[in-house]
Amino acid sequence: MSNATQEESKSFLGRLVDLMVNNPYDSYRILFYVGLTSFMMITLFPFYWLLVLAVSPDGNLYGMGFLPNGINAAVFSQVFQQQPIHLYVFNSIIIAMLTVVICLVIGSLAGYAFGRVDFRGKGPLMLLLLIVSYFPGIAYLIPLYEMLTGNLNISIFMTPDLYGTPWAMAFPFTMLTLPITIFILTTFFSQIPDGLEDAARVEGTTRLGALFRVILPLSAPGVVTAAIIVFISVYREFFFSFMMSNGNPGDWAVLVYGILAFEQQSGQQYHFMAAASLVGIIPVALLVVFAQKHIVRGLTQGGLKE
Amino acid sequence: MIEKLYRTVSPILYRIERLDDDKYGYLLIGPMIFILSALAFYPLIRTFWLSLQTDDLYGEHPVGEFRGIGGYVEILTGGMDNILSAPFFSLSDPFSSALVLTLLITAISVTIGTLLGLGMALILNKEFRGRSFARMMVILPWSIPIVIQGMMFYLLFEPSLSPFVDILNSIGLFSSNPMVSTRDSTVIVILIDIWRKIPFISLIILAGLASVDQSLYDVAKVAGASKWQQFKLITLPLIKPVVLIGMIFYTISSMKVYGVVEASTGCNTVPTLSCLVVDTFQMQRWATASAIAFLTALIIAGIVMVYLVSFRSEVDSYE
Repeated sequence: MSNATQEESKSFLGRLVDLMVNNPYDSYRILFYVGLTSFMMITLFPFYWLLVLAVSPDGNLYGMGFLPNGINAAVFSQVFQQQPIHLYVFNSIIIAMLTVVICLVIGSLAGYAFGRVDFRGKGPLMLLLLIVSYFPGIAYLIPLYEMLTGNLNISIFMTPDLYGTPWAMAFPFTMLTLPITIFILTTFFSQIPDGLEDAARVEGTTRLGALFRVILPLSAPGVVTAAIIVFISVYREFFFSFMMSNGNPGDWAVLVYGILAFEQQSGQQYHFMAAASLVGIIPVALLVVFAQKHIVRGLTQGGLKE
Repeated sequence: MIEKLYRTVSPILYRIERLDDDKYGYLLIGPMIFILSALAFYPLIRTFWLSLQTDDLYGEHPVGEFRGIGGYVEILTGGMDNILSAPFFSLSDPFSSALVLTLLITAISVTIGTLLGLGMALILNKEFRGRSFARMMVILPWSIPIVIQGMMFYLLFEPSLSPFVDILNSIGLFSSNPMVSTRDSTVIVILIDIWRKIPFISLIILAGLASVDQSLYDVAKVAGASKWQQFKLITLPLIKPVVLIGMIFYTISSMKVYGVVEASTGCNTVPTLSCLVVDTFQMQRWATASAIAFLTALIIAGIVMVYLVSFRSEVDSYE
């Protein structure tokens, strides 16, 4: 660097520092927008890159910099002929909904007990839930695999072979997501004023009646929050989706295999990988757009409660 | 029909009605206890039991006879290293061993991720136009499937496609094919982990920021404190417990990292602890796989203990 430019940059820096010291408010604003823009760019760049790769025509993919090399929108219909992505996504959604239903039924009973009934051993039992979500999935893998592939004897009975059915994944997912469901619902149930339940009881409702007629309707936002968090957690899950399935979409293989199938194919078809990934993102992207408040609430409450 | 149903159900409802709080509570958590016993507690005990056996590669069932903690000792002392795809822990070449690699990924990812998450939370805590849009964009990395998170970064760093690899290679940071070098792939895994965890940690911190009493800042302004002093003396001490809780969960989840590795660089180049378990499981070495899984859980427990002991005062003040 020559002397002159150094001098110039120094004086420029000097002027910048003067400006910032004299206008602290403005400089904080500048700092703020610089930070915001860079965070947004870090967050969104991988998505942008997927789009660039997907729409660039095959053969033009190599060494193309940051802009798409021509537009080939047909890739989004061709990708379905390569791999039945729609089947994989459909399987993922069905299994996620199955898990949501199981978790909500069991979780709302337990959440009500933890949030509104005083019984002995409440604290230790909640701790037990924390322990379940603490152990890595690999610590559950082998016994669940034995159990769900029909290799476990319970006295004289064998467990049914569920491998290749949605249950082989729905059961492990239930184990994974039940603790967070209960944490979210416990918080919501405990926030409902006691007076409302008492009033219902005075009117002659039974305890369970009060749960289903008063508490559950009032905590509908909590139930929706829990449902969305469970749905997304299952939809994005990798480990059990990968281990508990043979990868055949007819046998309920989920999105994980739909995406990995392109990696295992010979002849790297990068534009199809990118297009398939974008298709796989659509369901959760819609949820994020329409249920953002629930997700934020669920994540923070679930996290802080635990 | 309905009347008949009502007549059979109502005595049961009446009995439920007359239960004391203890029994009513146990009744309601009954289904949860049943499901978790079958799907969580039984598997944990079974895995522990399996970890105390020997591998049996030729028998009908992949588990041999009982040998106590011998399997753990063998894994820790390196007796299994020629069977595992990477040593569990080795002194001579620490960075190729699964334990050191996983700890390294976790330490770097948690440090950088928490700092960036704090920055993100401070930004999102301000009022500005398009804030809810910004929040929406920020949750996106967390919500997308793990396999796609891995795939994205695979496509970003695949040398024939990537706009970065050449640049990083020419300034000497990356080799020409980062997907086959353990060092570069580890960096990529760390990048993915940071990118996808920022939403979680920043949302947790944001919740902490929202609970800070705003009048404290008014007092500070009157007293003439600068923004930095306000942050250091008010914000930071008050959100510290929340940040620590977030960091504990971040650490636990980074220690389990598997999916993004499998989907991006592959377990051969970045053998994390979870990768070792899956490898040995697929080799039909169930006992070894179980032992490594439990060792992983023990190591995570140790780290959580370190957090809790060294920051006990802050966590106590939060609760």
